[in-house]
Amino acid sequence: MPGDRKEPKPAYKSEFLSAFHDELKHMEKTTLKDRLSGGINAQFKTYSGGEVKETKQEFRTGSGDFAVKRFYTPLDTADIDPITDIGLPGQMPFTRGRDPLGFRAHEWPLSYYAGYGSGESASERYKELYASGARELALALDLPTQIGLDSDAPMAAGEVGKVGLALDTCDDLLRALETIPLAEMRLATVGNCNSPWILAMFHTLAEANGHDPKDMRFQIQNDPIKEYTGRGTYIFPPSVAIDISSDVTEFICKNLPNWAPQYNCTTTMRWGGSSASQEVGFGIANLLCYIEAAQAKGVDPADFVPRLHLHMSSDNDLFEEVAKFRAVRRLWAKIAGERLKTDDPRILALRTTVYTAGDKLTAQEPLNNITRTTMHVLAALLGGADNIVVPAYDEALALPTFESARVATLIKNILHDECYVGQTADPLGGSYFVESLTTQIEDKAYDWYRQVEDMGGPVAALENGFYLKEMSDGMYRQFTEVETGERTVIGVNKHIRDTETKIDIFKGDPEAEQRQINRLKEARANRDQTRVTAALAEVRRVAEVKKKGERENIVPSFLEAVRARATIGEIYDELRDVFGVYHAPNVV
Amino acid sequence: MPKTLRVLIGKPGLDGHETGAKIVARMLMDAGFEVIYTGPRQTPEMIVRSALEEDVDVIGLSLLSGAHFNLCSRILDLMRAKGVNDKPVIVGGIIPADDIPKLQELGVVAVFGPRSGSKEIVGTINAILEDMA
Repeated sequence: MPGDRKEPKPAYKSEFLSAFHDELKHMEKTTLKDRLSGGINAQFKTYSGGEVKETKQEFRTGSGDFAVKRFYTPLDTADIDPITDIGLPGQMPFTRGRDPLGFRAHEWPLSYYAGYGSGESASERYKELYASGARELALALDLPTQIGLDSDAPMAAGEVGKVGLALDTCDDLLRALETIPLAEMRLATVGNCNSPWILAMFHTLAEANGHDPKDMRFQIQNDPIKEYTGRGTYIFPPSVAIDISSDVTEFICKNLPNWAPQYNCTTTMRWGGSSASQEVGFGIANLLCYIEAAQAKGVDPADFVPRLHLHMSSDNDLFEEVAKFRAVRRLWAKIAGERLKTDDPRILALRTTVYTAGDKLTAQEPLNNITRTTMHVLAALLGGADNIVVPAYDEALALPTFESARVATLIKNILHDECYVGQTADPLGGSYFVESLTTQIEDKAYDWYRQVEDMGGPVAALENGFYLKEMSDGMYRQFTEVETGERTVIGVNKHIRDTETKIDIFKGDPEAEQRQINRLKEARANRDQTRVTAALAEVRRVAEVKKKGERENIVPSFLEAVRARATIGEIYDELRDVFGVYHAPNVV
Repeated sequence: MPKTLRVLIGKPGLDGHETGAKIVARMLMDAGFEVIYTGPRQTPEMIVRSALEEDVDVIGLSLLSGAHFNLCSRILDLMRAKGVNDKPVIVGGIIPADDIPKLQELGVVAVFGPRSGSKEIVGTINAILEDMA
């Protein structure tokens, strides 16, 4: 019986530990010294008498930031306090996760990121996903929609419906989701630079289906910084974009209690070449930039920070990623507590959503990507991520098919439900290696955070090209390492297979663009033009007020414009006219 | 001293995923080319104008969104209209295998994908330029 065993007295315990430490310190000077110095020149005799050599001069973590020792001992965690630095799950500083129950109370929903072409082709796909059990749906939008262009704009030619759904007026969204019971669904979209418009679209979608928008569970990404660092789908200068984004946050916090106003994304920075510690440091700086912008508009952080998610990648180095997820929570708790002057655990317990590393998936032998994403998901689970999204194995080739999307989304369910991962919170907590790496990442991330703050915050880091340069350098370094073979990618620079694997890839609908343009023309012809003109004039008026530096929320004017069937291009042309468009520094 | 060869790396269309374009730009710089990178969101007119103004030897286009037919044919038409269709156009990005011959029919000289390394890209560009010389 475990109860029969006597607990060792605390004094004995510490005596034992201190003796152990003395012993280790002695060993560090003698035998351990040899054991810890590695490299390809170090030779070891095996017990069977043979000689072995290490394969690399130096072993480093996947993002290259830290040297990895041959093994770790209590000496590596001697400065880490088990109470104040590690603590318990669900308690400050949340190193071990934000939930005291870990994943024991967690059900992983089936979620999909999908959408392409015009309303009716997407509608078919959404119907299929719903029927297969999906209750969370992230709507992919095409590029013209993401940057506020109509489908018949000259720049949009050839791009309509290509990487996502083409939405010109709210009728397009109504059509795409006409078969989906909205009340059962959690809908999300990556709308960032177009976030007030997405808000107005979701709002109108709810109204048109007879729901009170308040009752809906919609989520808007609303993170324009992502667009300057990831996909290039920005419109306005960064400070304007952040002001508009905080209007959306303000409107949602004051009017729509079940909506998530924002999820900040460092995933694209990581995919674009940032290291694990940069992802943490930059992510925290970006998050605070948004929070303080909303705070300046009178939004109490307690009303919305608990609803925020930091979106992070989960990369190839299993242990570095686990340590990263632990480090970001700990560093956030410390920095946010100080900057927001709060000890509210709902604010200090950072929620993370993991979008596993799409950039590490290969076009070569795409089925091997399932193994890669499985490990990325495992890192996210062991690191205590709150939500996990997984790209499909054919990501490097095309948009996912239904089959590949289903394989991807079920990885987390298989690991959690079948493989017993998640029975205990933070299973790697206390590991000499993981604890030591967690602290190393936290320290380095803090330096990155300070560097960004010292240059004037994320807006400055965007405008002066710092973020872009750091990413580009990291990306090129990784690329060169793959070319020289220093970094292994199976199927790319090792165990290369001559024949190509044939897989079914998704093919878009070539007629979709013309159909969407015809529909847009029809929509323009069949609406109350007087109402549209007045609504657009109101959008412009608010934009001009903002341009003067005065405060007025732009969302109400968007609601009326969307209800009036103004097109996205018409609305954004007004704003482009007032604010001008941004040209990012051309950093190679 | 031989003339330093100039390559334009252009990102036509709305897609702003710049990683591939930037890697190729740096790879070509390391290989001794002079590289002019346009930055994202260029119209076909802007690409052709930059190619003319910078008097480049090769035009490289980065295309990932699936709009490659539309954008390539517009760029090649414009080049013909301006009488500069002697400059070789190469494409890199996510291009389905079935589309590669069709792009070549349009006049694209070479198409590179995610599996093309620096040896292949630099080697092909050098070979194209040698053939023309």
